[in-house]
Parts: sequence; structure tokens; C-alpha cells
Amino acid sequence: MLNFVVRRLLAILPVLLAVSLLTFLIASLLPGDLAYVILGDQATPENVAALRRDMGLDQPLWWRYLSWLGHVLQGDLGRSFRTGQTVLQAVAERIPVSLQLMLMAEFIGLLIGVPVAIACAARAGGAFDRFMTGSAFAMLSMPSFLMAILLIYLFAVELHWLPATGYVPFTEEPLANLRFLVLPALTLALAEWPGIMRVLRSDMIATLQEDYIALAKAKGLKPSRILFVHALKPSSLTLVTVTGINIGRLLGGTLIVETIFALPGIGRLLVGAIYTRDLVILQGVVLLVACGFVIVNFIVDMLYAVLDPRIRHGHA
Amino acid sequence: MTKIAAAARLHAPIFLVAAFAFAAPAQAQKSGGSITVGQELDITGFDPLKVGVYDTSTFTAAAAIFDTLTTLNDKGEAAPKLAVSWTHSDDYKSWIFKLREGVKFHDGTPFNAQAFKENFDRQKDPANKCRCAFYITNVKEVLAPDEYTVVYNLTDPSVNLPATNTIQSQNNVVHSPTAWKTKGDDYNRNPVGTGPYILKSWTAGDRMVLEKNPNYWDKGRPYLDRIILKPLPDAQSRFASLQSGEADIIWDDENDADNIMKAQKDSKLTVHTYKGSGAQVYAFNTKVAPFDDVRVRQALVMAIDRPKMSQAISNGLSRPASNPYGDGSWVKCKDDGALPFDLEKAKALLKDYGKPVEFKMLVTATPRGRMIGQVLQQFWKRAGANMEIEQVDQATIPPRAFTRQFQLVPWRIVDLADPDPQMYANFRSGSPLALANFVDPELDRLLDHSRVTADTAARIEDYCAISRLINKEAIWFWTFQNTYYALSSTKLKGFPKIYNGVIDVSTTWLE
Repeated sequence: MLNFVVRRLLAILPVLLAVSLLTFLIASLLPGDLAYVILGDQATPENVAALRRDMGLDQPLWWRYLSWLGHVLQGDLGRSFRTGQTVLQAVAERIPVSLQLMLMAEFIGLLIGVPVAIACAARAGGAFDRFMTGSAFAMLSMPSFLMAILLIYLFAVELHWLPATGYVPFTEEPLANLRFLVLPALTLALAEWPGIMRVLRSDMIATLQEDYIALAKAKGLKPSRILFVHALKPSSLTLVTVTGINIGRLLGGTLIVETIFALPGIGRLLVGAIYTRDLVILQGVVLLVACGFVIVNFIVDMLYAVLDPRIRHGHA
Repeated sequence: MTKIAAAARLHAPIFLVAAFAFAAPAQAQKSGGSITVGQELDITGFDPLKVGVYDTSTFTAAAAIFDTLTTLNDKGEAAPKLAVSWTHSDDYKSWIFKLREGVKFHDGTPFNAQAFKENFDRQKDPANKCRCAFYITNVKEVLAPDEYTVVYNLTDPSVNLPATNTIQSQNNVVHSPTAWKTKGDDYNRNPVGTGPYILKSWTAGDRMVLEKNPNYWDKGRPYLDRIILKPLPDAQSRFASLQSGEADIIWDDENDADNIMKAQKDSKLTVHTYKGSGAQVYAFNTKVAPFDDVRVRQALVMAIDRPKMSQAISNGLSRPASNPYGDGSWVKCKDDGALPFDLEKAKALLKDYGKPVEFKMLVTATPRGRMIGQVLQQFWKRAGANMEIEQVDQATIPPRAFTRQFQLVPWRIVDLADPDPQMYANFRSGSPLALANFVDPELDRLLDHSRVTADTAARIEDYCAISRLINKEAIWFWTFQNTYYALSSTKLKGFPKIYNGVIDVSTTWLE
């Protein structure tokens, strides 16, 4: 097992290096000169040249990348020239919001997706199965910005049950915090559960045709016990992968959902950095988010090994 | 009956009501309560050295936390704020302000001429490389001859300095020197002013809480105990927050025409509109073909159907512009020389020119920018000219404009109490902002004359002559005037005019 963990960790290193290079290139190759952005539209050429020298912008690209990477490895991701905050400060302030949002979304997604998948698989091809597969398809085709606005109009403007926008930290007012996050999390979850449902449903249908399930049925075990104990665990391997990959999709979703619901999370930080051309924040946040994604996938790999012993022994 | 006559009859009762409202005594202001303001953007900070230029959302916060020397009254004239009176030299190159005594910053630092001068010097100092310095290039120096006197010495005359310095911008609001010296990097997000509200807390991206300043120099003010500023970047959910009562007033603009019209029909909401001066404008580079020929420029201007364009981009809310001043300006012209919409004449002019007309226009790479570009493209195609849209990032437009690397560029003349600063910069030959590269001795003479003339009627004459000249030569053109919007609950009272596009809630109260 330890051998397996070390192997996976070593495989991550080149991935992280590639991530850092891509992040740097994206930020550096954006049109518009950073010196102009900082000094403003009316800067004199001399001022621009001086600032470019100060910031090392006159150095070749590879050299700038290496020196940035050097700072990053020492934990220095840089400081926003707009707000004066360091990248780590800005991220630390906002990450709890996005994490909570993503966890709630994933939780609601599983809460809807898993039971529906089991129910559908139990009677595959039945009326319930056909109806739910159809509605899952409809939900999947609905863009999240539209879903968000529909939910706001229904629950905030018409029914007045939930607030349309806003946020308070969980540590200050837990109940109010949940009220603020229900709609954004639901928006994301409504796009998540169809994927969860479809993957688990098809895996379970396959599992339910295995010989040992037939044996269990022959032994007279209760159908519910067969479904939840004998069939669910072996069928959940793909589900774990999907859930892991979904974290990446959810991160993308937070850009839109946090903007619409005015949540002060990572997504908003990123959108703001793009609009104000705060390249230091942009570069730093994208790097951290990408690293987070890589780590989540590493954890998913580890979970595989727990769920399926064949993987940790390298037989798979 | 004509449409206009019908409209007049329909609106007649409203005019009567309006007249009655003016005659009634002013409403009694109520103290207490709290409001939430829905803004467009996240505020990045207040230190001019860090943020360079304030945006619309920062203006709103700055108007509550800080004061300026002067403010605009309801008639659009300069009125006292931190300055109580002012005089000027005969050539309008020197202005002397007498300051209000006994005013203190929120941190207890006394406000005086020295503090004011330190604010100015910090922005002007070349070592600080402040983006904000561009906007004070006309000010040579600020002196503090005694504790309550400030002297502005200008490089060029300015007949209306007290009115043009009223916007709550990075250059005009007065910060506590003690605060920025002791807080260093942290000052940006911990601003200290003399204003009616004190910054209580600020969660990045979420909310800024401002509390009433109990020691405000204007006794009896402010009325509200608390103002909460929230960035609500999405226009739809911002409007939904107003409808559901989570926000009491929100920023808005013509891009959001549907919601503005919805608010107009909603009895619980008030639409605050301010018809500002200035306009959305475009400059031809007259040094490069095909715009070195006046016929081409005139043809393109005459091919623009502004009412139709307004329908296309903002459901008809945009108000067509025929000169650079707009209805909000005190410059009113009997004849501004605007070229009429005349497609046949445009076609004839292009035919007369003889060569095919093909050119590129810079537009911002935003949905709005693209839409405007496409509408103009269609108009010009009908006249027989081929325009290619070049989409660029917003930040790319100014450097391209300053280096004259364009054929046609979008620009903006913002709402300001006096036309001189922008007209002089945009049209005086030799100015870096004179984007058209157009030199005309008569135009220069009029611009030079209007800035040293105190008599308003004479200045109006000058500016109308300038408009006629520019319209005739078609070196720039104007599409729509500036209209500023705020939507609020009807309970919010005392909201002032949206001068300079600034939503200033510091004088409001709740009914």
C-alpha cells in the first residue's frame, strides 16, 4: 500500500510542474502590458520602461517563469498590486465559502442522485426509470445561470422563502449561512445529480446481472439487502471517479454561481482578478485551484484502492 | 393628432403633480435605520497610490467616508463642503480656498491646509508613480500659506475649478495623512476620512459596513445609522435582491433596460434617472485614409440612425446625442450643426469620393461593444462602406488611441460640471488626447478663449461654435448622451442627482 502511495505521489510531480507552466503562460500571454495596467492608460513611455525593469518584465519569458516558480516553491505567490493583499491572504479569506458551497452541492447531488439511481436500476426500463432518465437529461441540458435565475425568482422574489443574494460566515450565524447557501448549492447540485445518477444506474444494472447476485436472490435474501449491501459497493467505483472529477466541474460552476448569488468565494475572486487584470492574483489562484484538483484526484485514486483491493496490489 | 401631442396630453397630469411637489414644504428627514446598497463591482481599495483610479462602486463608498472641498448643489453649481469660500486670480490660474475650521478626521487628526497639501503632494510626487497623477497635470502646486487657506496654482486657466473638483474621485477626496503613514500597505483597505460615515468592517467580496460618524461637522447629519455596501455583480440577481428587499438601492445602467422598465411599472420601486452631460463618442483618425477625406467622415455620420440604434441596444432608453455636451450641460445651442440622418446623402458622398471605403473600427471585446459595432457595421454597409470590427480588450484601447494606432476608436465624454477640461483635452491641437489628429486654428482659438472667459453666455457662444465646427468637419461623432440610473425602494428619500455617475447615499434617509 505504501509503495502504491509513493508511486502515485511521484506521478503527481510532473503534473504539478506542467500546471504551473501553463498557468504562468496563460497569464503572461494575455494581451495588454502589465506595466500599462498598473500605471494606467496615460503613463509615459519612460515610466512604463522603468516599471517593466523593476518588475523584471524585460527579462526573457523562461527566466521569469523560473524566478516565479522559485518564489512559489518558497510559499510566496505574490501580492496583488490593486489591493495590496498577498495571494495566500486573499485565497484564505475566500476558500471557506467555495469549499462549503462545493461540499453542499456535492452532498445534495448525491442525495438526489444515489437513491434515484438505485430505484431506477432496481426496475430498469420501468416507468420511473424512464421518467427519471428523461428529467436527468433535461436538467443536464439546462445552463446553471438560467437555473440560478429561475430559482431566485421562484424562492426569493415570488415566495420570499430564501434570500436572493448575500452571505454570512457559518461561524457567525450558522442558520442564516445555510439559508444563503441553499439556492447556490441547489443550482450546482441540479446540474450534478444527473451525472451521478446515470453512472451509478448503469453500473448497478451491470452488477445486478452478475452471478453472485443471482445466487443471493436464490438464497432468498431481501431485495433491499441485495441492492444496498451486495450491489452498491462494487458499483460505486465509477461513481467515486465521477464525484472526484465533478469537483473540477463544480469549481468552474462556482465562477458563475458565486457571481449571480454574490458569494465572496474563489470564483468571484478569480472573475474580479480577470476584470481588473490583477495578473498576480489570477496566476496564483489558478495555480492553487489546479493543485487542489490534482490533490482531489490523488485522493480519489487512494479511495479506489480502498474500494477495490486489486488496484492496490497492482493487478487491475 | 400627432404622436407628440398625444404624449403631451397623456403626461400633462404628471407635470401638474410635479409642480405641486415643488411647492410643498420639504419632507422632514428622519434619523436612524440602515440601508443596503447593491453595487456593480468589488471595491479594491481607497489608496490612490494603490488603486490609481476609483470606479463607480468606489465612488459611492468614497462619498460616504470622505469629503471634498466643494460639492454640487441641486442647480449644478459649486457649494461649500470642506471649503467655505473661494476666490480666484484674474487669469483663473490661481484659486484660493478658505477651509472649514474645527473639522477632524475619523482618527482624530485635525483637518487643515497642511493635511490637504500632503494629500496632493503624495499624488503629484513622480517617485510615487501614481496613475492618479494624470488627472492633476493641470495643477502645478498646492500651497498652504496658513492653517485654513489652500492655494491651487494651475498651469492652464480653469474658470470653474470649484465645480469640476466636486467628484468623489481618487484626486479630490481628502485622506487622513496620519492614517496612511501609520498603516502603510494596509491603508488601502482601512480608509480614514472626514466624511459622514466611518468604515466599521469590510469583508472582501461580500460587504462593507459603514457606521454614522457621530462627530460629523454638518450637525444633524447624516440621517442613517448604517450603510451596507454589497457587490452584486450579476444584473439579474441584483435586481431580484431589490425586489425581494435585500437591497434598498441598486446601481444600474442602460444595458439592463428590461429591469429599468420593469421598475418603472413597480409601485414599490423608484427609478432615479440623471441626464448627465457628455456622450458616448467616436474619433476618426483624420491623418489616415479613408478618413483624411471629409466626405467619407460626413457620409458615415449621416448613415447612423440613432433612434433605431437606441431600440436595438437598449430598448430605446438611450438618448441620441447631437453634440458633445448633452442635455445635462449648461451649454445649450440653438444650432449645434449636427449632421442629419440622411442615407441618400451618405451614399452620394461616398460615390463622390470614388474609391471603395474600407476600414477597421476598434470595439471593446464585450457583448455590449460587439453589439454596437455590429449595428454601426450594418448602417455603414447600407451606405456602401465596409467596416471590419477589431475586438480588443478594454485595456488595449487607450494605448492604441494615444499612439494613434487606429482608424476609428470609441471614447467617452463623462458627466462633468464644466465642458472645458474634456473639450480642451479632446480637441486642442497638440493635446495627447486630441485623437482625431485634426488641426484647425479657429477651433484652437475658440477653445483657448472659452477657458479664460468668465461670462457664461459668451462661453456658450464659444462652445456652440465649437460644436458646429466639429460636426461640420465630422472629425468625431456622438451617438448617445450619458444617462445614469439607480433603482431604489420608494421608502428611500433624499437621494441626490447622480452627478458624475456617482450614487451618493450619504444624504439619504428612510421614510
